[in-house]
Amino acid sequence: MPIQTELLHGTLEVLILKTLSWGPMHGFGIGKWIAQLSGDELRIEEGSLYPALYRLEKKGWIDASWGLSDNQRRAKFYRLTAEGRRQLLKNSDIWSTFAQAVARVLSAKQQPAS
Amino acid sequence: MSTFDSRRSLRAGTPLWRRYLRFWGPDPAADVDDEFAFHLEMRIEELRAQGLSPTQARDEALRGFGDIQHVKKICRTLAEERENAMRRTQWWSDWRYDLRFAIRQLTVSPLLTAVLVLTIALGIGSTVAIFSVLNAVLLRPLAADDSERIVYVYETWRQFQAGNASVGHFHDWTEQGRVFEHTAAVTGGTYNLSDGEPERVRGVRVTPGYFRVVHKSPVLGRYFTEADVTRDIRLVVLSHGLWRRRFGGDPSIVGGSVRLNGQAHTVVGIAAPEYNMTTFAPQLWTPLVFTPQQRANYGTHAFGVMGKLKAGVTRDAAQADMERVTRGIAEREPRNMEGRGVNVRPFRDVVLGDFRTPLYVLVASVTFVLLIGCVNVANLLLARATTRRREIAIRAAIGGGRWRIVRQLLTESVVLALVGGSAGLALAYVGIRLFVTFGPRNVPRLQDAGLQPEVLFFALGITLVTGIVFGLAPALRAARENLLTTLRQGGKTSLPAARDRLRGVLVVAEIAVAVVLLVGAGLFLRSAWRLQQVPLGFDTSGVLTARLALPPERYASNETVADTYRRILEQARAMPGVQRVGASTSIPLLGGGPDAAVEVEGKPLNLNTAPSPLIRLVTEDYIESIGMPVVRGRALKLSDMAPGASPAVMINERLASLAFPDEDPIGKRLSTWTREVGKPEWREVVGVLGDVRSFGPDTPPRPELFLPFTQPPPLAWNAFQRSMALVARTSTDPAAHAPGVRRVLRSIDASLPLYDVTTMDEALGADGAGPRFNTWLLSLLAAAGLVLAAVGIYGVIAYFVTQRTSEIGLRLALGATPVSVLLMVVRRGATLALAGITVGLVAALGATRMVTTLLFETTPNDLPTYVAGGIGLMTVALLACAIPAFRAVRISPMQSLAES
Repeated sequence: MPIQTELLHGTLEVLILKTLSWGPMHGFGIGKWIAQLSGDELRIEEGSLYPALYRLEKKGWIDASWGLSDNQRRAKFYRLTAEGRRQLLKNSDIWSTFAQAVARVLSAKQQPAS
Repeated sequence: MSTFDSRRSLRAGTPLWRRYLRFWGPDPAADVDDEFAFHLEMRIEELRAQGLSPTQARDEALRGFGDIQHVKKICRTLAEERENAMRRTQWWSDWRYDLRFAIRQLTVSPLLTAVLVLTIALGIGSTVAIFSVLNAVLLRPLAADDSERIVYVYETWRQFQAGNASVGHFHDWTEQGRVFEHTAAVTGGTYNLSDGEPERVRGVRVTPGYFRVVHKSPVLGRYFTEADVTRDIRLVVLSHGLWRRRFGGDPSIVGGSVRLNGQAHTVVGIAAPEYNMTTFAPQLWTPLVFTPQQRANYGTHAFGVMGKLKAGVTRDAAQADMERVTRGIAEREPRNMEGRGVNVRPFRDVVLGDFRTPLYVLVASVTFVLLIGCVNVANLLLARATTRRREIAIRAAIGGGRWRIVRQLLTESVVLALVGGSAGLALAYVGIRLFVTFGPRNVPRLQDAGLQPEVLFFALGITLVTGIVFGLAPALRAARENLLTTLRQGGKTSLPAARDRLRGVLVVAEIAVAVVLLVGAGLFLRSAWRLQQVPLGFDTSGVLTARLALPPERYASNETVADTYRRILEQARAMPGVQRVGASTSIPLLGGGPDAAVEVEGKPLNLNTAPSPLIRLVTEDYIESIGMPVVRGRALKLSDMAPGASPAVMINERLASLAFPDEDPIGKRLSTWTREVGKPEWREVVGVLGDVRSFGPDTPPRPELFLPFTQPPPLAWNAFQRSMALVARTSTDPAAHAPGVRRVLRSIDASLPLYDVTTMDEALGADGAGPRFNTWLLSLLAAAGLVLAAVGIYGVIAYFVTQRTSEIGLRLALGATPVSVLLMVVRRGATLALAGITVGLVAALGATRMVTTLLFETTPNDLPTYVAGGIGLMTVALLACAIPAFRAVRISPMQSLAES
């Protein structure tokens, strides 16, 4: 399910940070990981992924360097900075609270009492 | 962003991003392209594996990017922004690092730092102090509105370029001139101010146009106008200073009246305080009004004329226009015009002109001192740089980059300069206070010197420039350092000959500058000494003088005036401790007086060549009291002062040689200052007096003529303002008799103020105060330059000895005598000193030309001064070498060899 990333600007950034918390990865790998982890529910379009990566790099939450991919090709690897790790902790809390709240609303069986 | 701290980068290796930058160069566009290409490649491979055809796979892969060019652009922009932010951060953090490091360097060797800071502080402090004076006196615009358009118009006569004008000239210049907006005639005057404690004040009589020529809005009231003065001439504008001092700043005085010379004058206004900078520093202004008779007078040259040029008119245009009008006058009035012309001078030049050269000389000298200071600091830094070679080599080795090293070292020198400059600012503050307190009184606006914003700005500028100037040589040298050699030598502090040569050149330069200073100060000292040797022609010691003026309203006739002075002198003569007392309308060193052409009996009168002596009315004891020698004939006696006595005069030698060349003047008759031109009134010459330097030791004697005060020329008492200076020769401290003289005057007329009360010694002191101050200051600066140069040469020679410790040890071990070692060291210093002295003496020949006009009977290429300057510096240089030389002799061969 491709999602409207404009709506979920912050979401995408948190997802990238989370992905990178396991270790350095290039853009292609990040997109793939997010897709896999979401059980192929979330497919991040490249047109959203890369601007998000550059934004995060600019903010200093992630850092990049060129390295070699598994198939020995030159790729730009991203990794989490200390600041990125802090932001991930902060934002993932907010996001799970928010997601739970949304889920509760959507799964409500009763009309709220007025 | 601690990742980008370059300190860490030096310790723990360059961070990833920097390595990447260095390798690929900062090219965000290429990076984005590469990254996207990689992504597409991977994605296409993946899609192919799922069974899509190459084209399908490609299309599918691209779809994910949407408008790929747009996405690339976004990413590129983001990357560039990041790049720039990074560079900024890097720059700041480098800078912070440099700063921290610089401060640490300063604390490493506190003694060296103290010497450096002190040198810089002295240099910058004195430069800023002098600049502040220059700024206050010369650079700031004059306070009057459009002051650059104000000019003085002078009548010239023969070589005199700044003479007063006649009323006729003033009138015609005003009426027929085309270049002026306003004009004014001014003439100085003094007034007895007699409400309360009587006081004599200096004022100016001005035509009402004056306040439009020199305009600054009044503090209170207004200035008088033409309309005012046609109704009533008894008006006065008070100066701000007088109003505050004497009237306590009481605003109700405006419209009220004050008593001037016994007559009530209405106060119309209080002038702006800025009027104090005009030439006389007047305390009040009264109207000057001319009668039609005066307007037709082209022969009496008694008024200053000022004008305000129309906007856009240059001085030269004004000069041409005034010449046109003046030619017209000469055609109509040829009788008075021989040798006369006109000269237009900017107000600014008139007010400040005399102070320009001395101030620029001071600025040049103090800059020289600063320069010498900079050279010393540069030398010390160079010496330190050698001990830091290893550190710098390592920096370069780990990729510090040359520019980075230069920047680090420059930061250090600028930090040093800033510390020194701040201390210098404190010194400058003290210096300015001293300058204002002890500087010559006659310098306009000197009191305004202070640390104004522009002075602070100058201080900051000069500090930064200084920091860069003395830091640049060591920094560039360090950057050029050959890494391999240094590291191979294990960073030993031995130095290549080239570096030693640079330090040698610097020392030669500072010695040269010190020589210029020394010669300059020497010329001033010599000039001051010459001035001291000039005999004044009279004896200044033990003489008290005080002046009074009798108001014409109550002391109208010549007889009343003479009688009053006679009574005053009689009482003063009775004072204990007073040996003799006399009086004269003008006395040496304390103002001039009118002059008049002299006609000699039996010789044709040519007004253009006739001698024009200063005319003085004197009492019988004056000549003895002031101590002038009678060289021929006799002095004026009491009998010459008696009613009906035949007219007698005394002349000075100068007048004798002009009026009676090659003949005995005694018994000859002359005439001067007569009621009518062409009708001589003969007076017999009874005595010739020795010449006196009436205008100070630096001005040659002028012809002088002495008349008995009982035989004044027509209207002479008006010209003298009925004023005489009493001169008392005392057997005890002359200053102690001032109250006695005051008491005498009070018993005669309590409303008369006694003023200009001073001893002749004080008057002589005040006369030379300006040049003396210059001489003193220049000597101080030269001494500072000399000490700094000595420190400089000491530093280099001491270093020379340190460098050659092992060599000297070896020589001594091989049997060299201590004397030969001593000579080797001294020869090194003497060579440098000699080079510096040679360059300096040649430079001094050019530089001292600037002071020609400030010297008295001393030419700027005065040989003895140059010889003394050279010898003086050589002596100091050799003394400075002596300490390291003796240290060299004491080197123990065994120890020095063991050390190496």
